[in-house]
Formats: sequence, C-alpha cells, structure tokens
Amino acid sequence: MSVDKSTKAARGTVQCENTNINLLKANDYVADIIKSEMKKNKTLLINVTSSAGSGKTTLMQKTAEKLKDKITMAVMVGDLETERDAERIRETGIQALQIVTGGICHLEAQMVHQVLPEYQLENIDLLFIENVGNLVCPASFDLGEDYRVTLMATTEGDDKPKKYPRMFLTSDLMLVSKSDLLPYLPFSVDAVIKDAKEVNHQIEVMQISALKDEGIDAWCDWLLEKVKQKQNN
Amino acid sequence: MHETSIVNSIMKTLEVEFEEEKLNKMIAIYLKVGKLSNIEPRLLHNAFTAKHYCGTKFHHVKLHIESTEIKIQCESCNHITQIENYKFTCENCHKPSKNLIQGEEMLIHKIEFND
Ligand SMILES: Nc1nc2c(ncn2[C@@H]2O[C@H](COP(=O)(O)OP(=O)(O)O)[C@@H](O)[C@H]2O)c(=O)[nH]1
Ligand SMILES: [Mg+2]
Ligand SMILES: [Zn+2]
Repeated sequence: MSVDKSTKAARGTVQCENTNINLLKANDYVADIIKSEMKKNKTLLINVTSSAGSGKTTLMQKTAEKLKDKITMAVMVGDLETERDAERIRETGIQALQIVTGGICHLEAQMVHQVLPEYQLENIDLLFIENVGNLVCPASFDLGEDYRVTLMATTEGDDKPKKYPRMFLTSDLMLVSKSDLLPYLPFSVDAVIKDAKEVNHQIEVMQISALKDEGIDAWCDWLLEKVKQKQNN
Repeated sequence: MHETSIVNSIMKTLEVEFEEEKLNKMIAIYLKVGKLSNIEPRLLHNAFTAKHYCGTKFHHVKLHIESTEIKIQCESCNHITQIENYKFTCENCHKPSKNLIQGEEMLIHKIEFND
C-alpha cells in the first residue's frame, strides 16, 4: 500500500511528515471544558448509552419520578430526528432538552457544550445525557461525563459485550434492563456478566426493570451516592 | 455514518495543522486505527471517496489505513499481551487489566507531500 516512489521521484521528491495527530483531539478538548464546567458547578454528569429501544428514556422517566423531590435532576437527549423522548421526560416535571443530531449516530462533546447554557448548572445536581441509541459510535466520544452507564436489555441477546467491546470497556456500570421479561427469554444474566467482566473487570452490574420498578431503588441509591461524592469534592 | 464524521475531522484537523499552500501539495494520508476504535477501514475509504466527489481540496490525496491490534500492559508484571476475543487479561500472570497501550487510537501518523 505504499506510494510508488519511483514515479514520484521523476516529478520531484516526496516529502514525508511524521505526525501523531489524534483525530478525536477536538472532541476531547471540548470534553475537558465540559468536565471543568461540571466540576465548578458540582453537577454529576452521566452518559447513558444503549442500543435503540433498550429502555433509556423509560429509565430517565422512572428515575425522575423517584429522585425529583430529593435532588435537582435534568436530562439532555440525543436523537437522530425527533423531539419525542424529551417530551416524555418533561412530563415527569423535570427539565429535558433534545439535541437532534440530524442523522449523526452519536453525540459529540461540541453538541453537548452548545446546549449547556440552557441549563442552570449551579442548581442542577445530576445531569443525564441520553445518548443516541447504538453501541458503536457513541463509545468513541468522551462527553466529559463522570460515569458512563450502558443499558443491555434482556430482549437483545446476551452476547452484546463481546460484540461491542469498546462500549463495555469504557462503561462504569452495566444495567441489565427489562428484567421483568427474563422468565420468557433465553437470556442468561450470568453469561452476560461473565462476558462484560472479561472485557472490563471493573464494570459494575445491576439488574433493573423500569416497568415493574425492580432494582430501581438500588440504581437510585447508586446515583445519590455519586451525587454526594461529587458535591463533597 | 460515523465514518463520514471521521473523514470530516481528518480534513478539519489537517486544515488546522498545515498551511494552505502545503495542503495543496499533499498526496497521501496515513492513518492508524486501532481494532477497538470502531472504525471499519472499508467504510472509511468509502466515506473518503464520497467526499472527493463533493469537491474538496483533498481530491488528489490517497488514504492509507493501517489497522492495529489491541494490546494491554499488565500493571502487576509489566507483560504486554495482545488481546484476542476481547478477553482483557494478562497472558503471563492472568490478572485482568484495562491498561491499553494500543488498539483504541485514531491517528494521522504520516503525511506525504509532493515537492
Ligand atoms: N418489559 C419492559 N419493557 C420496557 C422496560 N423499559 C422500557 N420498556 C419498553 O421498551 C421500549 C423502548 O423503551 P425506551 O425507553 O423508549 O428505549 P430507548 O430507545 O432506549 O430510549 C418501550 O416500548 C418501553 O415501554 C422494562 O423495564 N420492561
Ligand atoms: Mg430514548
Ligand atoms: Zn501480568
């Protein structure tokens, strides 16, 4: 695959420049700005990822219902085309804004940074980013989050961690969602945990059903603990 | 989808790093993309070619993509392991590790210019 130097030499010399330019440099630079904004305002930032339909928005609604009297929570939702998810979340009475990515399959730090002025961060304890639904592209883009949480629905099959290793490698917590459907599905929670831990031995795992309110209290306790840590830092 | 935004960021990055005059002499870009980077070389080539037809100043440029293996260096014994089947464990002492030393990168590592 190297350039044919002999023909090039006839027209002049080929000059080489060795570089090490990181293609995500611009994204990571903005992610750092977001990080320091969150630090200044003591706002916990959580990036929620999953495939489409794994239950992110439903979990945001449920979490808002449970936590809105205890802390101030807000959500930012990335979606390819529609405003629907943000509306669903606003119905619970918390602030939620949609970032329509116009076909881009992930959120980039720049998009998050652009809408940050819409939030009164000094009054917000917990800000969620519901990322665009897919486990590939969002894995590469740091949004300046404190924690990355990935949902894995029981309806998806238990081989996801090895199919999308980068996402599970970079996640702090895996939520096995729609656990109410477990009795009806050939889904092994043990197998999915084993695979996830082979990829990332530090990943924490919880099992939840937003629909049947199972495991949601444990999830909320996890969040409250992280919020507390952020505020004491 | 993803690949198009990577191509855009290659172009933007180069426009920031090099003078216009130099960019016009550019003939090849060499990328290193790790096997964990979620970049599919074939799709990236396609996205790059598609861009050419939109008339950018990079239309003479050839794109070379090298795909790099995933490697970790063990924190306990310093051994370097090439990861197979996404099992992030040291092959020497069998301790799990996330200490990646190669495999997530998306780098422009060489550029060739015509003098
Ligand atoms: N059975 C069951 N269905 C759920 C649960 N959570 C969400 N769903 C359903 O899964 C579908 C997708 O949920 P949604 O929250 O929109 O997923 P998102 O695309 O990840 O935001 C909806 O029809 C939900 O009602 C759950 O815990 N159990
Ligand atoms: Mg949603
Ligand atoms: Zn070792």
